[in-house]
Amino acid sequence: MTEEFLLKFQDIKPTPIQTDIPNELCQILYTKEYANLMGVTRTLMNNREHSKRALELTSVVIEIAPAFYTVWNYRYNIIHDMVLQLKDANQEKVIEFLNKDLDWLDELTLNNPKNYQIWSYRQAILNLHPKPDFKRDLPILKIMLHDDTKNYHVWSYRKWLIDFVKNDSLFDFNIELNFTNIFIDRDIYNNSAWTHRLFVIKTNPANKNIDFNSKLIQNEIIFTKKNIHLCPQNISSWNYLIALLDWLNNGKATDDLIEFASQFVSDFFSNTAILPNIQSSYALEFLADQYKLDPKRINDSIKAYKALSTKYDPIRTPYWNHLIKGLS
Amino acid sequence: MSNEFRATLHLKFMGRHLMMLPPTYQSHDPNKMAIIYYSLCGIAATDKTQIETKYSKSREFILAHHKTIELKDDQKICTISGFIGTLTLDFQDNKVITINLSNTLFALLSLRILGETSFFENSKHKRHIGNLVKNCQLPDGSFVSSLDIDNGFKPSPVDSKDLRYTYMAISILYLMGSRSKQDFNEFIDVDLAVKNILNHQTLLGAFGEYNEPHAGYTSCALSALYLLNRSLNVLSESFKSKTISWLVFRQLSNEGCSKFQIDSNPSFDEADNGGFQGRPNKFADTCYAFWCMNSLKLLTDDWKNLIDTSAVLNYLLKTTQNTLIGGFSKNDDDDPDIYHTCLGIAALKLLDGSFDGSLCIPKYVSDTMVL
Ligand SMILES: [Zn+2]
Repeated sequence: MTEEFLLKFQDIKPTPIQTDIPNELCQILYTKEYANLMGVTRTLMNNREHSKRALELTSVVIEIAPAFYTVWNYRYNIIHDMVLQLKDANQEKVIEFLNKDLDWLDELTLNNPKNYQIWSYRQAILNLHPKPDFKRDLPILKIMLHDDTKNYHVWSYRKWLIDFVKNDSLFDFNIELNFTNIFIDRDIYNNSAWTHRLFVIKTNPANKNIDFNSKLIQNEIIFTKKNIHLCPQNISSWNYLIALLDWLNNGKATDDLIEFASQFVSDFFSNTAILPNIQSSYALEFLADQYKLDPKRINDSIKAYKALSTKYDPIRTPYWNHLIKGLS
Repeated sequence: MSNEFRATLHLKFMGRHLMMLPPTYQSHDPNKMAIIYYSLCGIAATDKTQIETKYSKSREFILAHHKTIELKDDQKICTISGFIGTLTLDFQDNKVITINLSNTLFALLSLRILGETSFFENSKHKRHIGNLVKNCQLPDGSFVSSLDIDNGFKPSPVDSKDLRYTYMAISILYLMGSRSKQDFNEFIDVDLAVKNILNHQTLLGAFGEYNEPHAGYTSCALSALYLLNRSLNVLSESFKSKTISWLVFRQLSNEGCSKFQIDSNPSFDEADNGGFQGRPNKFADTCYAFWCMNSLKLLTDDWKNLIDTSAVLNYLLKTTQNTLIGGFSKNDDDDPDIYHTCLGIAALKLLDGSFDGSLCIPKYVSDTMVL
């Protein structure tokens, strides 16, 4: 296939790759096909050829070796040049041309989900785009996240995109908040979905002066409580709750939340005979962290850390002991 | 199974990666310098005599990847230099700029491991490599890895900017001799770089993109800050203690309440006990033992008294060490690979005190780099 494609470049003398150096390390045995393809690419890059066939060549190289950062750069420079030429004609043409490049990128993305060069290239194309449309990007992001629900690069790109379009009146922050529900419903332990949720709330320009008692935040508390009920031993939902408190309530839990957390630790604080079975070490830790702020309850806090150390979370014994030392 | 470190097997596994590689490695061609560094670093940490006897002659080969480029535009003239990752990216007349930060860092570390000194003492190299780093800094203080292939005054338009490159930029300058703030400021805007790192602090401790904490980025951020002035005193005490606790919680357990996740958490595996994850509710992974422990070590001298060291040793030696062909794998089911082998060994050597985590080289190598 590559051989046939290279017929378009018969006028180009491939630049050979230097090999067989003394004491070479990690020498890769290149196939003839690869050496030819790279040879032609090298000549074209050296000539700064920004033609249609050069653009096609970059697609072929990227498919074979997506980690070639310079070829991505080369492709972008060709696209950039072509956009400048099209600008003289009209904007519609530019949009059509860049959308075609995004179509190509979508397909590549589906075939190479782990490559992260894709996402920064995408940002560069959107920055060049006269009318970047977030709606065009959302479907591919959704597919990618459905296939790999905790892919850090895809979630980061999605956050970049939201930040990029946050002042676009068509962008609906509520839809985005609901988007995270899909993932939390599917896997309540998806930490990326939980952190995305907080990002969405914090990025929405309408929430600039939000306070803890606002309807939105109180709804978030209800949402989190519901999810902790479903699954008490989940660090992501507890962290979300703690993050809301840290952000808007100086880290201090309300009486209601203390009562809420207490239901997951059985009669731990009143039971002087045994360490009861509890439903969540995170609930106990949450209470201990709150109680240590109150001089009257500091002993309860120490009791909880001790029990975490011996029974509920023994791998962190050294850490719990370190906290106890800090209190006594 | 015994939990003995299988040095001979690992040396063979890593040695194979430095020999002739089949065409299936073509897609790794642009990252060849990374493969070289991971192999050399793991070998050096395991048995430094092998470096002297087998590989020290390869310095010349690595130096063949060093490229110096004159940049000129209407107002400025500037010479930059750095390394390419493979000779496939050697454009002889240097009209196409292909050096970048990651290959430069991997090459410099490899050279240090191989005992090279004169390259580092050359003041021209210091200046030119410093200029490369300088041109990679963006106005917000962050860094990209490469420059525009057609215009070396500009950062690449298609690169991502993230904390990995900030770390690389600072580590490169450190390796080339920068120590004081003034030294670093000769090439980069230190205050802006620090401000950018601090902007990646997340609410509950640790660092990440857009407030999602990640152990890898955390290690990059802390190492970069540490190399800048050998202390983390730009961080608040409360952030440091939150970060310590975030990191401590990355160690996975199959005891106590953790067991409640067995049936409900798709990313929970009892075999992960003792290992570290990169983010909450993910599987354990060999490399995160290194990223998490390195971060903890930078935050507190008392780091070994905060985690279960025997559990992490067991995880690495019994679960991800391969006792048939050598090497370490990412987890208990994958095949071993060179990256996880290097970092698995690095994690073990960090525990026995013979590895310099902020520079990612054996301690005996960094000890030779006295000011
Ligand atoms: Zn890993």
